[in-house]
Amino acid sequence: MSRLGKITRRVFLLGSAAVAGGVAVGYWYVNRPYDNPLDAQLSEGETTFNPYVKVGVDNTITIIAPRAEMGQGISTTLAALVAEELDMTLDMVRVEHGPASHAYYNSAMLEEGGPFNFFDEGFVADTVRSALGTVGKVLGLQATGGSASTRDGFDRMRQAGAAARMMLVDAAAARLNVPASELIVENGAVVHEASNRSLTYGELALDAAKGSPPASVELKPRDQWKLLGKSQKRVDMLDKVTGAPIFGVDVSLPEMLFGTVLMSPVFGAKPVSQDLSRAEKMPGVVKIVPLSTTYGHGFGVIAENTWAAFRAAEAIEVEWGQPENPSDTEGLVEVIADAAARGEGSALRDDGDVDIAFADAPQERVLEAEYRVPYLSHTPMEPMNATARLKDGVLDIWAPNQMPTLIRWFCADLAGVPQENTHVHTTSMGGAFGRRGELDYALYATLMAKEADGRPVKVTWTREEDTRHDAYRPAAVGRFKARLGEDGLPVAVDMRIASQSIMESILRRWFPSMSALGPDKTITDGSHNQPYTIPNYRVSAIAAPLTIPVGFLRSVGCSYNGFFHEAFMDEIAASGKVDPIEMRRQLMADYPAALAVVNKVAEMSRWAEPSPPGRAKGFAFTLSFGSWVGQVIEIAETPSGIRLEKMWIAADVGTALDPGIIEAQLTSGAIYGLSAAMGQAVTFSGGAVEQSNFHDFDAMRMFQCPTFEVAILENYHRMGGVGEIGTPPAAPALANAIFALTGKRIRFLPLDREVEFA
Amino acid sequence: MSSATTLLTAAAISIFALGYASAQEPALQPGEALAEWAGIYAVLSHPRCANCHVEDDRPRWSGPHYGATRVHGFNVQRGTDGSGLGNPGLRCTTCHFESNSKDLHGPPGAENWHLAPAEMVWWQKSSAQICAQIKDPTRNGGRSLEEIARHVRDDKLVGWGWEPGAGREPAPGSAEETYLALERWADAGAPCPVE
Amino acid sequence: MRLTVNGRPVEIEADPEMPLLWALRDIAGILGPKFGCGIAACGACTVHVDGTPVRSCALPLGQVNGAVTTIEGIASEDRLHPVQQAWLEEQVAQCGYCQAGQIMTAVALLDEIPEPTDQDIDNAMGGNLCRCGTYPKIRAAIHKAAALKLAGL
Repeated sequence: MSRLGKITRRVFLLGSAAVAGGVAVGYWYVNRPYDNPLDAQLSEGETTFNPYVKVGVDNTITIIAPRAEMGQGISTTLAALVAEELDMTLDMVRVEHGPASHAYYNSAMLEEGGPFNFFDEGFVADTVRSALGTVGKVLGLQATGGSASTRDGFDRMRQAGAAARMMLVDAAAARLNVPASELIVENGAVVHEASNRSLTYGELALDAAKGSPPASVELKPRDQWKLLGKSQKRVDMLDKVTGAPIFGVDVSLPEMLFGTVLMSPVFGAKPVSQDLSRAEKMPGVVKIVPLSTTYGHGFGVIAENTWAAFRAAEAIEVEWGQPENPSDTEGLVEVIADAAARGEGSALRDDGDVDIAFADAPQERVLEAEYRVPYLSHTPMEPMNATARLKDGVLDIWAPNQMPTLIRWFCADLAGVPQENTHVHTTSMGGAFGRRGELDYALYATLMAKEADGRPVKVTWTREEDTRHDAYRPAAVGRFKARLGEDGLPVAVDMRIASQSIMESILRRWFPSMSALGPDKTITDGSHNQPYTIPNYRVSAIAAPLTIPVGFLRSVGCSYNGFFHEAFMDEIAASGKVDPIEMRRQLMADYPAALAVVNKVAEMSRWAEPSPPGRAKGFAFTLSFGSWVGQVIEIAETPSGIRLEKMWIAADVGTALDPGIIEAQLTSGAIYGLSAAMGQAVTFSGGAVEQSNFHDFDAMRMFQCPTFEVAILENYHRMGGVGEIGTPPAAPALANAIFALTGKRIRFLPLDREVEFA
Repeated sequence: MSSATTLLTAAAISIFALGYASAQEPALQPGEALAEWAGIYAVLSHPRCANCHVEDDRPRWSGPHYGATRVHGFNVQRGTDGSGLGNPGLRCTTCHFESNSKDLHGPPGAENWHLAPAEMVWWQKSSAQICAQIKDPTRNGGRSLEEIARHVRDDKLVGWGWEPGAGREPAPGSAEETYLALERWADAGAPCPVE
Repeated sequence: MRLTVNGRPVEIEADPEMPLLWALRDIAGILGPKFGCGIAACGACTVHVDGTPVRSCALPLGQVNGAVTTIEGIASEDRLHPVQQAWLEEQVAQCGYCQAGQIMTAVALLDEIPEPTDQDIDNAMGGNLCRCGTYPKIRAAIHKAAALKLAGL
């Protein structure tokens, strides 16, 4: 290894949020920078200026994009932020995910986790946001989620690029013996125009690394951006059209063994009795090992190839223990419905006085409805998998994952090796949608690697194991009540929403000795924080007492609150005989960003024009992850059922860094939401999930896909996320369109239980 | 339900037992011939057969894990050329090979997997309707009843109906038994039930 | 047993019941075809046998009666296949996991129907699931690939 790493100075970058938040948790601690993890990884002739930039003497420039690429295009956008400041184009740089490191903490993901709505900008709200972002730094949680990567990286990545640029310019100034002010950067080189001399970054790298990092950095003003704000060619596209082995399942190592798992389909249950003898004798089987973690109990099969492992897992004869929850869907839903009806709620929004507003309401002015959604599985295309090797006291884990630092921590503990001897290699992910924020696949692979005599084991789950062992989107039940005024607009709404608490479920898996504090705002996220002004407006969250494993699925609580809130708003409009969009214009008048989105999507979809016979449109709006999204969908009656014809989307994301990627995410999110709305449900029988594969848990296919028209707005002054925001309004837009087409108000998802889709 | 099943099974056995014993005997009485047809109808209308004898262009799925009978997933169709072999890019044989998948819910397989011509529709058709179709050369592929019986006995894809693989209920009886029943029914004048 | 994969002979010692997918991935080290479901329900494993698309996760090795082509075998030495080129130009992929299968099906479609309609595309692609929802771009890319192919590019 080169000694260069040892003499490299590090650039300590501090966002303003970290400084402000220092008040809350101690300035010294917050300012303690993490070591640059690249120092330990440099090869000969390579140097690094900060955790995001490596420059080789051969002029190979590597940008670290430390958020996991699950298809959302984040590696491209993060690299563009750095490349912009280095004045390079993306085809001139290499992009890597980088090692697991606390230096890559995600503060933006936690910032919106506080008790304030996105549009609250008072001093207290902002201070708490900063403090929570600081917690992200203190914990060093390297995570990809919450549609937060771009917001988190926007300043940090540009500062990293700018700092490196300034150090390269200083080195060039010294070498050329001219003042730095006479130098410009252009296409990966520092240029002295007056003397027509230039030096590549590679030629300057060694000198630059010896220099001092700048005390402050100057970022390019927006009007000088060359990459940002324009659609870039994705850096991962060529690999993905040529079948390059970039995914977790593609990891190939010398001496590698293969494996799979068979875990109890009854959550939390252990094997009561087992007979492994038949499985152990199957050809190609190396070893069968018991697995026991906070995620579940079962067996790992190590074999000479994946298919042999699958066959042997099927041959394991085992009787599992009893479920700790009601064993079927009906029983589970009853608990949640009971919580919605009678449970003690925490009001996360409580404007006016709802109880008084309903006390004297005439019956004909009151609207009541109950809504339900089922559990959902993430089903990314690439089934859960991880490869682990424990050799000579060093643990290596290759895994498509969203949580590298947590995986390092937990797996090191399981393997009994120190964290510094544990390396997490994050591969490209064949989809994730929140599923790979869990740790189970890595824990199981680690336990199996302990039994493999130093050989690596690539552990691939079957689709059936994947479908039946998820951290599901929780089922939810909402009870809604509205009082309409004389003008048909709501004067009071009361929303009681019950589901399992995701935070509580995660604590059970990650920190079983801790208990959750305070209400879980994900239960009502998407209902309690919408930009509507209604004089009496209460939204209460009730945690249902169940322990089915639940977790983050694309847009989390918004994935069902979008449906609850917006389908109920549509009911209010229908009941009050007000056009649904006109009603939004009235109720959202205080929120110009929302209003602009509503007006834009109404204009695009020609909302005001009546649909021809056999066709109808539906509208919905959700503010989520800092972005304001309105959708209109048009559907048509056909002989084989309802066909989704076209969806219009208007989204205000504040600042649009890559319009092409944002549009792709908006349609992707909408299709994900429409898939769930049309036909997906995870149901239970005998304590186990009934669905197992794509024949009974399918998603939208090409022939069902509508066309899309997308408008990206930049009115709001804060940047929003994009990865999840297309999902929440999709289900209610469709349900509202079905009401407009058929007069049928469907309050339970999935919709195909009530109508047929073509 | 169990008693009904027992009765049906007993009826089927008696029909087929009779068949074996009387293969060389003179033709059946009219009532017996209709009972023979009832056994044949039980086979033809069984999901293992009827799911791919559809009038529209879409085969059906049914079975314990599919809920109610429904259209085959993935937009699988007869084929715009009417061949029954699927469409370019998505042929029946893209997924259905020469043998059944060993995986539960995996694709079943047999030689030459395809959809029966649309005029040979059995799905959701009554006993009388199927009977009329079977006897109509314009709708049965121009076959004599003897040729139909041999087709049922010898064709590999037809034979799959009795060996459909794990997790699927086979058609009642066997290819040989159905062949013999068809022979006896034809010999007795191939009477059809009246609706 | 001996297979021909992407024009080259490949010797595989395995149970003839083993699906082609696992022989390609775990034994021959050909990793383009992906495992998604194991029951021919998602299309991620699609390869061609003598030009016909098949789901390799369900096809037993013993029933492979022809030359196998995978995503690794459709480009020429110096040029992407027109379908790959169109995918690149339309920026189709998100996570990318299903795309090898999508591309292999699209290649087979264009071999039979050089200028497919939207209806032809829907009829061909229903067996290829994409959870990222890249369908609108796949459709556009197939039309573009048809044009590139007809132009001899």
